[in-house]
This record gives sequence, structure tokens and C-alpha cells, in this order.
Amino acid sequence: MTDVTGHAQPRMPNIGRLLAAQIGYQGRLLASGRAVMIGIGLPIILLLASHQSHTQTTGADVARYAVFGLTLTAWNTYGVRLVATREAGILKRWWATPLPRWCYFLGRILATVVVATIAGAATVAAGVLLYGTPLSLSGAFGAFIVFVLGSLAWAAAATALTTVVSTIEAAAPTFLVTYFPVIIISGLFGAISEPHWLTTIASYLPAQPLAHAAGLALDHTAGQTWLPGRDLIVLAAWAMAGIAIAVATFRWEPHRPAKRRPARPSQQASPGPRMPPPAELADLPAGNPSTSGEVRT
Amino acid sequence: MSAIVVDHLTRRFGDFAAVDGVSFEVPEGQLVAVLGPNGAGKTTTLEMLEGFLSPTSGTARVLDVDPRRGDRRWRSRIGLVLQSASLDAELTVRDTLTVFAGLYPAARPVGEALELVDLSDDADTHVGALSGGQRRRVDVAIGIIGRPEVLFLDEPTTGLDPEARRRAWTAVENLTTTGTTVVLTTHYIDEADHLARRLILLAGGKIIADTTPDGLRARDGTVTIQYRPPDGVSLDDLPATLSPHLDPATRGLVIRAGDPAGPLRDLVGWADRHRLGLSGLEVGPPSLEDAYLTAIGAPAVERSSP
Repeated sequence: MTDVTGHAQPRMPNIGRLLAAQIGYQGRLLASGRAVMIGIGLPIILLLASHQSHTQTTGADVARYAVFGLTLTAWNTYGVRLVATREAGILKRWWATPLPRWCYFLGRILATVVVATIAGAATVAAGVLLYGTPLSLSGAFGAFIVFVLGSLAWAAAATALTTVVSTIEAAAPTFLVTYFPVIIISGLFGAISEPHWLTTIASYLPAQPLAHAAGLALDHTAGQTWLPGRDLIVLAAWAMAGIAIAVATFRWEPHRPAKRRPARPSQQASPGPRMPPPAELADLPAGNPSTSGEVRT
Repeated sequence: MSAIVVDHLTRRFGDFAAVDGVSFEVPEGQLVAVLGPNGAGKTTTLEMLEGFLSPTSGTARVLDVDPRRGDRRWRSRIGLVLQSASLDAELTVRDTLTVFAGLYPAARPVGEALELVDLSDDADTHVGALSGGQRRRVDVAIGIIGRPEVLFLDEPTTGLDPEARRRAWTAVENLTTTGTTVVLTTHYIDEADHLARRLILLAGGKIIADTTPDGLRARDGTVTIQYRPPDGVSLDDLPATLSPHLDPATRGLVIRAGDPAGPLRDLVGWADRHRLGLSGLEVGPPSLEDAYLTAIGAPAVERSSP
């Protein structure tokens, strides 16, 4: 490729390579935070605390705690960090680079999916290793698919929510307040069967379908449902809706406090005369600028 | 050829004109300092040139491209140092620069960028562990990592200690030797004086002067006379033309006058009566800071043409 002067221009970096580098970069940032350790460690601690020696820990039991860790990472950790990154001006700094904005975001979301899936998988591994929860190859693969789709749905929804959170201070409360009611009515800390309307609502939110689908996948045996279509459709709908809202409303710049600046005294309405370049500038080695300014009288 | 062409650029926020009909051009390779008080429109102007803000009216072209329509290739030719430091704290300086270098088609080696901003010794330090001044220099390193043809520096040394500022200046000076066009906004007059051969003064969203540092000093045609009488000499009989200009705290005289002949004659006569030497007497143009303050305090505008 050449520019207008005929000079060869170096080739722009390959997009695929940029995306891979971005996933690695964002993954390192996410994994280096203490919040991720909570997403991995807390569900395992709860799994240990809830274990009853006389009962078998099923895939469905493990799935509930795995989904808790996964959603903590893909919703709270990701969402709060995204607000903090935007309000610190880091997103704007990336906007100023040649990295396409969609590439930055895709990298960020995919990195979250990877880390959240690892958080879910860690709990499953703890259940298998500590309590002998049965796990087949098809069960593991099914759970992997559900975790990936679930992480994507939660991260996309979190991205959409960041558009209404204007400060770092408001981020953590907002994400927690919207998180725990959903987790509780979805039965992650104990099944809820009444009232019926509440369980119906929960079935359309992304936690209950995720836990249900993960449980079915982990407990999968021949002849039974492996991946429940309805649950996957709900999760996919949340992912698409979150991405659509984020694309339409996401801001790259920090919020600026709303304030009305005092109007200056009225200046002359018409533009002033163009002025000749200052004589001294004509001597500058870089060239002879044509400058103009406006005169206030 | 001009790297930047701005023509009657205006940006309004409601009924407030943050930038009001600004026009100027910057030739390739020139370092221009944009000065002005808070709210003068410096950052808003820069944000329009960087493609972050759309003008309400008027046009801007950077490297012959409308900044709002700049593509990846255009972005790769532009370097930015934004007003507030904005970096992920978790990685080391070297890792951070490596990630950003990978975005550009002909990036500077990371070691070279580190050397330019004098951070080689901190390459393996986490960004979060750096001082504010060091982070600012990392920000400058990111701005220059892609070998930009045009570099925008928005108050790059605000908050730095004097030594760090000097180091940042050296980095910017190094860049100008490679032909990079630099647009610098700053509150520091000495910084503009040190780095720029051209100053654009903004006040109230308008350009009130577009000149050189020497041109700004000579702009209002005044001459500054400075003299500090020796200790122990009574100042009670200073001529009435001089006594209002005496600073009791320093016992120094600072007189600004369009025609220095009268005050000088009175000063020489007074010194002669007291049999004083006049060593230390300075007569010359006002300091750049005085000239700047005069310029932004006096809305009547004229371009200096010495």
C-alpha cells in the first residue's frame, strides 16, 4: 500500500491477532484482581459448607454453586470493572488507538467468558474431586457449552447496565442490588416453588435457566435431556439483548458532572477579520503557516 | 504542507460556546503551544481535533482527514496524551507498552519508547506502583509508541514535579527532531516558552493571539525596568513616578512603561543623588508570564507583528 506521496505504508496489524492479544490482555487484567478469587473461592467454600455426608452431591447441586461463581465474575466483577475503567478514562485511551472499538469490546467480553467459565469449572472440579460427583465426558462438554453461553449472557447484560451507572461509587451497589434478588429467586441458595408468578419470572431471568441447564448437563445420562433448548434460548436472548442495548447506548467517555457554565458576555456576532500570519512565523523552518484568528474588540 | 487545518471551528454546549470560530493551521513538524486560562476552550479544541467531539460548525482536518471520520490507518498516525492519566494498574510498564505497540503498523521498540521518557529503570514495575509523574510519562510513552506524525499533548506535565517536567520536556524535544507535529496545551508559561516557537492564546473560546514567545512579549509595546536598591538606602525620597512601583516586601522596583525614558531618567537621577551604582538594573521586554496575563486580561486583540 502507498500513500498519496508514493511512500509505501506499513501494513496494519492483522485483526485476528489484535483480537487474540486483546483477549489475553483483558484476561490477565481480570485474573489479577482479587474479585476473581472471590468468584472462584466463595462458591467452593459454600459447596464445602453445605455438604451433608449422608447424601450424594449431585451435578445439580454443584451446578448451583458453579453458576454462583460464574455469575459473580461475569456480572459483578466484569460490570464494576467496566464502569471503573470508563470513569478512569481508560476506555477513552483505547478509543484513541487504532484498535477497532468492536475488537476491544469483543476481546473484553470473551476474556470475561473465559475467566467466568473457569470459575464455574473450578467448582465442578471441586465437587468431582471432593465429593465424587459423577461427571461424564458428555456432561462436562454440555456444562462447558452452558457456562460459555451463560457467561456471555451475563456479561452482555452487565455491559448494558453500565450505561446507566455514572460513577465508580455507584457501580458496586448497583450491580449487587440487581444481582442478589435474581440469584435468590432463581433458587441458587435453595429451591423456591411459591409463589408461582415469581418462579415464572425467574425462568425468564438468566440465572435459573443457567443453573437448570448446567445441572441437567452435569447429571446427563443416556436417554435424558442433555441441553434443554428453552434454557439455552433464554440465555441467548439475554446475550443478544444485552449486546444490542450496549451497542446502542454504551459510552466510552467518563460521565461529566452536569453543570451549567455561566454564559459569557455576548461577544460580537460576526467573525472578525482574518489576519495575516505573523511575520516572525514566516521564518520558522517547518514552513510558512497560514494562520487566522478572530478579533475581539 | 499543513498537518492541521482548522477553519472557523465552533463547539457549543447549549447556549455556551466553548470554542467560538477558531481558525489556524499548523505546518508539518511544528510544535505549537495552546495557552489559555481554565475554560478557555483548549481541551475542547483538542478533542475536536482528536475526533472525540463533533464541531457545531466549522471544519477541522488533521493529516487531511476529518477527525470524526478517521479510520484505523488515520488513528495509527496520531498520538494522544489525554488530560488525565488513564492506564490499567495491574500490568508492568513494559507489558503495557508492548500491548499498545502491537496496535500500530510500525511501532517504536518498547525499549526506545522507555528511553525517550526516561523510564527504562522502571520497565518491570507495575503501573499501579508508579508515582503520578511516572504514570504521566508512561502515558506519554503510549502516545508516542506508534511513531505518530501528529501528537496531541493535553497538559502533559500537570501534577509533575519540576524534575519530572524537565524530563517530559526532553522527551517532547526529542520528538520534534524527528519531524513530529506537536500540539501542546499547558497552563505553564515556562513550558510553552521552553518548548514552543509558536503560541496560540485562547480566551473565552476565541484566539486572542497567535504569535511567538518573543512576539507575545513585545505585543503590547511595554518595557519592563527592574532594579533593587542596595540595603540600607532610604527609599523615602523616591520620585513620585517610581514609588508606586516599589514592592515593600522585596524592596524591588518593577516598572512597566510604554516609554522607559522618563522612569529611567528619574531612577538615574535618584541613584546619582545617593551615589549608588546601577548594577543589577534590567531593562527589557516583560516576562512571558506578564505578557500572557496582560493578553488574557485585555480582550482587545491584536496579532503581534514585530
